[in-house]
Amino acid sequence: MEALGLNLGYLLVQILNFALVFIVLRAFVFKPIMDLLDKRRKSIAQGLQDAQVAAEARANAEKDAQEILTKAQAEANQNIREATERAEVVSKEIMAQAESDAAKAREAALADAGLERDRMLADVRGQVAALAMAATHKLIGDALDEKRQRALIDEFFSGVKSGEVVVLEDTGLSGASAEIISALPLTEEEKEIVRQDITSKTGSQTVTFRVDPSILGGLVVKVGDKVLDGSVSGQLESLQQSLS
Amino acid sequence: MDAAAAKLIGAGIAMLGTIGAGLGIGILVSGAVQGIARNPDASGDVQTNMILGIAFAEAVAIYCLVVALLILFVG
Amino acid sequence: MNNTRPRILGIPNRYLTLAIIVLGIFAARVYAPVLPHIQVAPERLSHQPLFTLPVIGPFYLTNTMTAMVIADIILLLITFAVWKAVKSGSLVPQGFSGAIEAFIEVLYNMTESTAGKWTKKIFPYFGAITLLVLVVNWTELIPGVDTIGILEPVVEHGNPIEQVTSNIYTLIRPEGGTDSDHAAGFTLIGFVRTLSTDLNFTVALALISVFMTQVIGFQALGPGYFSKFINISALWNVFNKPMGIIDFAVGLLEIVSEISKILSFSFRLFGNIFAGTVLLFVIGTLVPVLAPSLFLMLEIFVGLIQAFVFGMLTMVFMSLATKGHGDHEEQHDH
Repeated sequence: MEALGLNLGYLLVQILNFALVFIVLRAFVFKPIMDLLDKRRKSIAQGLQDAQVAAEARANAEKDAQEILTKAQAEANQNIREATERAEVVSKEIMAQAESDAAKAREAALADAGLERDRMLADVRGQVAALAMAATHKLIGDALDEKRQRALIDEFFSGVKSGEVVVLEDTGLSGASAEIISALPLTEEEKEIVRQDITSKTGSQTVTFRVDPSILGGLVVKVGDKVLDGSVSGQLESLQQSLS
Repeated sequence: MDAAAAKLIGAGIAMLGTIGAGLGIGILVSGAVQGIARNPDASGDVQTNMILGIAFAEAVAIYCLVVALLILFVG
Repeated sequence: MNNTRPRILGIPNRYLTLAIIVLGIFAARVYAPVLPHIQVAPERLSHQPLFTLPVIGPFYLTNTMTAMVIADIILLLITFAVWKAVKSGSLVPQGFSGAIEAFIEVLYNMTESTAGKWTKKIFPYFGAITLLVLVVNWTELIPGVDTIGILEPVVEHGNPIEQVTSNIYTLIRPEGGTDSDHAAGFTLIGFVRTLSTDLNFTVALALISVFMTQVIGFQALGPGYFSKFINISALWNVFNKPMGIIDFAVGLLEIVSEISKILSFSFRLFGNIFAGTVLLFVIGTLVPVLAPSLFLMLEIFVGLIQAFVFGMLTMVFMSLATKGHGDHEEQHDH
């Protein structure tokens, strides 16, 4: 034992020394560090838990945001649909308005055009009568006096003879409204005569006048759904049919 | 042959016993490393048991050392 | 490019290393290293005992005692640094105390995975033994340990000396070879010798380790712990179960194994570090330049491993003791 250096005194010194070291280390190193480790583990666990809570909160917030977004989108769609509908309604109204305006304008334009044509045809009627009289004069000389001639021409154009409408004689027509078509515009006196005659003979309350130069002369009277053709073109046509 | 030379030879022969401990530790560590390589998750347990086994195998070598020291310095 | 290379004082490390090697060669030429006298028992630094105890006898100051004081001072400094860092309240210590804290945390986690609920009880022994043995082992690496000391006149295994300055002498190699047997001269007794090379220290630690293992086993399992050694119940029922006699014999073997634990604990640490010291002596004498540096690195590793193994084995034996033996495990764990 002596050669190995083992000695009870030294052994006791070493044991006491270790006891000292052990107590100091346990009190000032291991205990604080074990507490520190525990604290750190707890704080890490706490941090994880907090993070989880935060993650849940974030998930909830995201869900809410999603819901709000969906709602907002639905509302926006609704608004867009309503706006579109309203716009369509408005545009239809505007179009209808425009169409009616256009129709009015067209009617007005047509009426104007018709009036203008009637006025021009009325002017032409005098010239035509003069031309016809001149032509007749050339053909048959002075056989007819001018007054007689003018009466004949008027009768030709207006289909009215001595206060009566020629085509209406001996026809039992009756109707609520009548339409008179002439080749040239009638004078106010002739219109009055025709209106009185038609009213008395057919009982029609309303009488309208139209001008159509293609019938050449005479009158075409439409009462209800019946047509009386007293026009020159109609007579020429029937003459042509009977000749051929 | 004087006594001092015999002591030295005896101590040397005593330390031959460490061959066994060396072989044992080698086999033990090889097994442990293979175990860790196959299952790295168990490395903690394997290491603990490996060090424990090495300690027991090494104890044999330490007895040899003690005997050698006794021959050299005490006997 | 050059900036990435490590430097000391602006000199690239390779040139510094080269200069140190050249200086080492010169030093070895001027004063050739001498193989010191190797002995197991620690050397006495004084011829008069410090004090004399009644039973134990005279108490001399030995060179391992100074190493013990140095190791204690280093441990106190570590303790102070860690205590100050923990007291500052931050959860993550910085710098040196952070390194110590990380080391202790590794040990603590290892204890936790092995010892379970007895961690708080067992860990201080593990940590204290590991830290103490680590510091003690690494004092071997301090320059001057084992090489600066008192020159003692001896009648044999002596070396001649040479005066360096007025009060400082050095051993030199004797003329005509290294055979210094039976030559009167001087021998060196270092002021400091690594504490692990003192058997008193390692035996003391082993005794404490084994004794505290029994204490913790008793605390964990109560008086039933000692039935592991003297299995009375097996002996009682020996007429019913004759195989119980084997259990009883195994219990007696457990006592032997506890005693052999003391032996293996103490001589493992002593053997490794003493062998390391002798290795450094021999290598330093044979190849004085460069080679000792490599073996110093090896000694760093060995010192760490031995400290770790000592503490770890203590911890494992303690946690085994808390878990009982055989059928007792069922009783006490549930």
